[in-house]
Amino acid sequence: MIRYFLAAWIAHLRKAPSLFLLSVLGVALGVASVVAIQIINRNAIGAFSAGIKAVSGEVDLTVLGQTTTFPEELYSQVLATEGVAAAWPLYQIDVALADRDAFFLQVFGVDLLAPVRLPWNSSPADLSQALFEPGWIAVTPSLAQEMGWSIGDPIDVTSGTRRVQLVIGALVDFKKVSPLASRKLAVMDIAQVQGLLGSSGRIHQIDVQIQEGTHTEELILRLQNRLGPSVQIVTPRQREEQAADLMGAFRLNLTALSWISLFVGLFLIYTSTQASLLRRRLEFGLLRSVGATRAQVFGLILGEVSLLGLLGVILGLPMGYWVAQSNVEMVSATLTNLYLLQEIDSLQLSPSLYALAAGIGLGGAMAGAFFPAIDISRKNSKDLLTAFTLHEKANSLALPVFGMGWLVLTLTALWFWFLGYSWKPAGFVLAVAVLVALPLLTPFLIQQICGRIKTRGFGLGYSLKSLAARLQTTSFAVSSLAIAVSMLLGITLMIGSFRKTVEVWVQTTVQADIYLTTPSWRAEPEATLDAELVSALAAHPGVVSVDRLRRLLVSIDNKRISLVGVDMDLSGGQSRFPLLKGDRMEVLGKVQQGGVLISEPLARKSRLDVGDLLQVYAGAGKLEFPIAGIYYDYTSELGSAAMDLAVMGEIFGPGPIHSLSLYLEEGRDPERVVDEIKARFPDTPLQIRSNQRLREEIFEIFDQTFAVVRILQMMSLLIAVCGIMLTLLVLARERISELALYQALGASRLQIFRLFVGKGLGMGLIALGLGSAGGTVLAAILIFVINRTYFGWTIQVYWPGWPVLQQLATILTAALLASLYPALRASKTPAVELSRDDLQ
Amino acid sequence: MTATPALTFRLVSKVYDSSSRESRFALREVSFDIPPGLKVAIVGRSGSGKSTLLHLAAGIDVPTQGEVSIRGRNLAALSDRARTLVRRQEIGLVFQFFYLLPHLSVRENVCLPGFIAGAGVSEFEERASELLEEVGLLDRAEDNIQELSGGEMQRVAICRSLLRKPRLLLADEPTGNLDDANSGLVMNLMLKLASKEGHTLVYVTHSAELASLADEVWRLQSGVLNPS
Ligand SMILES: Nc1ncnc2c1ncn2[C@@H]1O[C@H](COP(=O)(O)OP(=O)(O)OP(=O)(O)O)[C@@H](O)[C@H]1O
Ligand SMILES: [Mg+2]
Repeated sequence: MIRYFLAAWIAHLRKAPSLFLLSVLGVALGVASVVAIQIINRNAIGAFSAGIKAVSGEVDLTVLGQTTTFPEELYSQVLATEGVAAAWPLYQIDVALADRDAFFLQVFGVDLLAPVRLPWNSSPADLSQALFEPGWIAVTPSLAQEMGWSIGDPIDVTSGTRRVQLVIGALVDFKKVSPLASRKLAVMDIAQVQGLLGSSGRIHQIDVQIQEGTHTEELILRLQNRLGPSVQIVTPRQREEQAADLMGAFRLNLTALSWISLFVGLFLIYTSTQASLLRRRLEFGLLRSVGATRAQVFGLILGEVSLLGLLGVILGLPMGYWVAQSNVEMVSATLTNLYLLQEIDSLQLSPSLYALAAGIGLGGAMAGAFFPAIDISRKNSKDLLTAFTLHEKANSLALPVFGMGWLVLTLTALWFWFLGYSWKPAGFVLAVAVLVALPLLTPFLIQQICGRIKTRGFGLGYSLKSLAARLQTTSFAVSSLAIAVSMLLGITLMIGSFRKTVEVWVQTTVQADIYLTTPSWRAEPEATLDAELVSALAAHPGVVSVDRLRRLLVSIDNKRISLVGVDMDLSGGQSRFPLLKGDRMEVLGKVQQGGVLISEPLARKSRLDVGDLLQVYAGAGKLEFPIAGIYYDYTSELGSAAMDLAVMGEIFGPGPIHSLSLYLEEGRDPERVVDEIKARFPDTPLQIRSNQRLREEIFEIFDQTFAVVRILQMMSLLIAVCGIMLTLLVLARERISELALYQALGASRLQIFRLFVGKGLGMGLIALGLGSAGGTVLAAILIFVINRTYFGWTIQVYWPGWPVLQQLATILTAALLASLYPALRASKTPAVELSRDDLQ
Repeated sequence: MTATPALTFRLVSKVYDSSSRESRFALREVSFDIPPGLKVAIVGRSGSGKSTLLHLAAGIDVPTQGEVSIRGRNLAALSDRARTLVRRQEIGLVFQFFYLLPHLSVRENVCLPGFIAGAGVSEFEERASELLEEVGLLDRAEDNIQELSGGEMQRVAICRSLLRKPRLLLADEPTGNLDDANSGLVMNLMLKLASKEGHTLVYVTHSAELASLADEVWRLQSGVLNPS
């Protein structure tokens, strides 16, 4: 049987290489899109834990501040707690390289004299100078090579408006300890970090090793009681989960999208298996009649399909890796911009990813082939040997299947209306229902639309009509394209609406002429502006008023969010917080008496409303603020809160400012003032942007965020277009006698070519129609359900007419292009083929 | 006879390349002229080359040697496109297995050559009705092809072949798939319609009885033509 299997396989491969290649490509693209997203997702989390692992090694517990830093006195208390074998403090800060734009080093300040052997400490690098040489810093060899640094070289970094010179003291390869560790990781002595870059007397975390025989849960309780509420004690696993949680919504959405591509790929496999089985029914009939069992025939088919799946995986894995690789930078930027997480520096393929790829590739191929295979192996050999088609069922099934599609939609809608709306993933259930219903609705619609056409010529109408003749084959191609189109359109509508919403929001909120912060703004709360600088800028010629912003990281529900303090009184400054809820004048009064404004995502996710109390953990302990209003904010998915700067000073004590916005007198050119300020403070690390520039940057970030999504859209469209091509090729082969008949009746090759292009166009058009309906529904689900529950933003619905038209045109063109090759093949059918086969 | 023959074969041979064996002649130096309006029946054993002859006559296939001319035009000298146009305008074909398209109605099947030729729609639709009327199927015009019996299907196929009033009608075992009663009916219809409109008719049949309805009966034996 095996020998027969191989011989038959090779023979069929020779006969129909294009069909085979298209199916392999379909599987490969499906595998690639899932793999790409998985690689990115896993490595994003990996990047987070790798940095910590590289510096601390394996720890049992970590003490973290509820906000950012906590007093270092707690360190001695940790050491004195029963059950703690060892502990060491860490200070962690992102500093910017002075002569580079937005290039950050992740500096860890560690106790180099700690009694534990830090994992990388065993390296031969000479660490003895670390404590004594001012500015001693260890960097990775790969970064040193990239920057052209060698030991002893000075480097300038900035932290807030502080500019500090450090000296490369050693090269330490953290990757040896933790392969995913970023090349931007650096280590210094903790006291030096505190003094030079951060704040003295405060630390970010304490890593703890537990004494053998100590119960972890009990130790956590003991530590928590002893250290008080300003810190939380977490296991490494919990930390990873927290990071994963943080970007959970983002990851979930990408994952969902990538699975859609795979879903589209399934249709391709179905079509190709179906076609190949149909062509080979005689062979199977013969096998059966010479004694092969049903199971053997079934096994033969599945064997071939797994081979196809395997090739798809082999091709899809590197493809997925390549897609991940070429998009990782943009995703990484999103993670750092939106979630303030570590950037992803390198990608790694874990064994489980290989397993996943193999699983979905083979599983997908099998799933796609399962029903055709069952169908064929069920037929008895007599049926197989007499001319018949598998299609005969499709026509009568179209209506019941259509009914099923409606049932799926209705039931899901009802479920959502009465029960599901409060369940977080309900939006995905709705989306899946739409995607499942589409292919169910397709055959009947094709039958109705195409079957009813009264042909009066051999043009497009005839092409459309002939689509109904091969309902089963065409339905699959049309449904898969329709799914891809709805995904494409749904997301385009969503992104278009979102972008327009943000545009309007930016227009109201970004009003000042100049925005000023420090290059290391990411590092909170250390990235502060020098007080003298602030007053100097306020007095700068042409500046009418200054809007100061102070940012504190506080913890709400164990999540860190920004609490910003601004001068709520600022004349003309109301627009900074466009209110979703609350009366402007009333809100202003409440805020001055200690109320806070919260952003929409925070309100939605923590289910808070005006009048509720916002419970905040800050350095000082637990605080409560009445919520005065809710404002639209699209800068952070995690949420933020705002209060009056003066009130903030009273509650948290006076503190430095993090960023400024300047309002200029009428007629001043902001760009010129930007240049003046830069010239006036040449040595102060500042990030100054004019209003215009800031708006541009916001949209650069916006577009970056959705770049991966666009790649995924393209991949599923590509798969669907492969499906169209495959289907037409199948039709060109399967319908040889029909084509020969046309020729015998005097149709020219050009006419047959056009007939096929017309079929491609027809399938494209029907899919566009179906997909537009599906896409609109999907967009509504994305905007009103999924986005609200997972991100918490209000998106105003806009119809991005031009991009949608462009996309529709692209899809039609793609369908048209996909039909060219099959059309050429069809037009070359010799008329003599008529004698071979029958038509029915 | 001064009129140009409707169909001319001059020393026509056809060899299919059978890749391994020495080549076998499906037709060997066949020559004949068929004057306009003549009805010829071709008989012969299975494999004797009857279908091959018709395919060559229809310009569906090209001879290995020799010349096939339709109303004096040598098909081999024409481009593929020109040959297609000759077939479209001058030839009607009827097949043993009917070759009707299941996704078209009866009327649409009859009209198919009209669709392909892109001729005036109303004109050939009228003609289709006339023909269907003649074969007694006008009331089935909007029916689905699958709902017809074999004999009915072949009558539809005959209507299709006659739609554009071809000068030359070629039929390859038109009754090969029908029972005796239906065979007689179909054959008589075809002969009647061909006579009425003055078509030249060449048909292949296995039945001596049906062959005898023609003006002349020719016999093919292993690719060699013998008038009998
Ligand atoms: N496409 C082809 N390739 C190779 N050989 C062919 C092909 N078509 C026909 N032949 C061979 O040419 C010879 C004549 O075939 P043809 O189909 O013309 O016979 P026929 O008289 O129509 O027979 P039947 O009564 O069975 O239809 C046969 O030996 C056949 O095997
Ligand atoms: Mg024959």
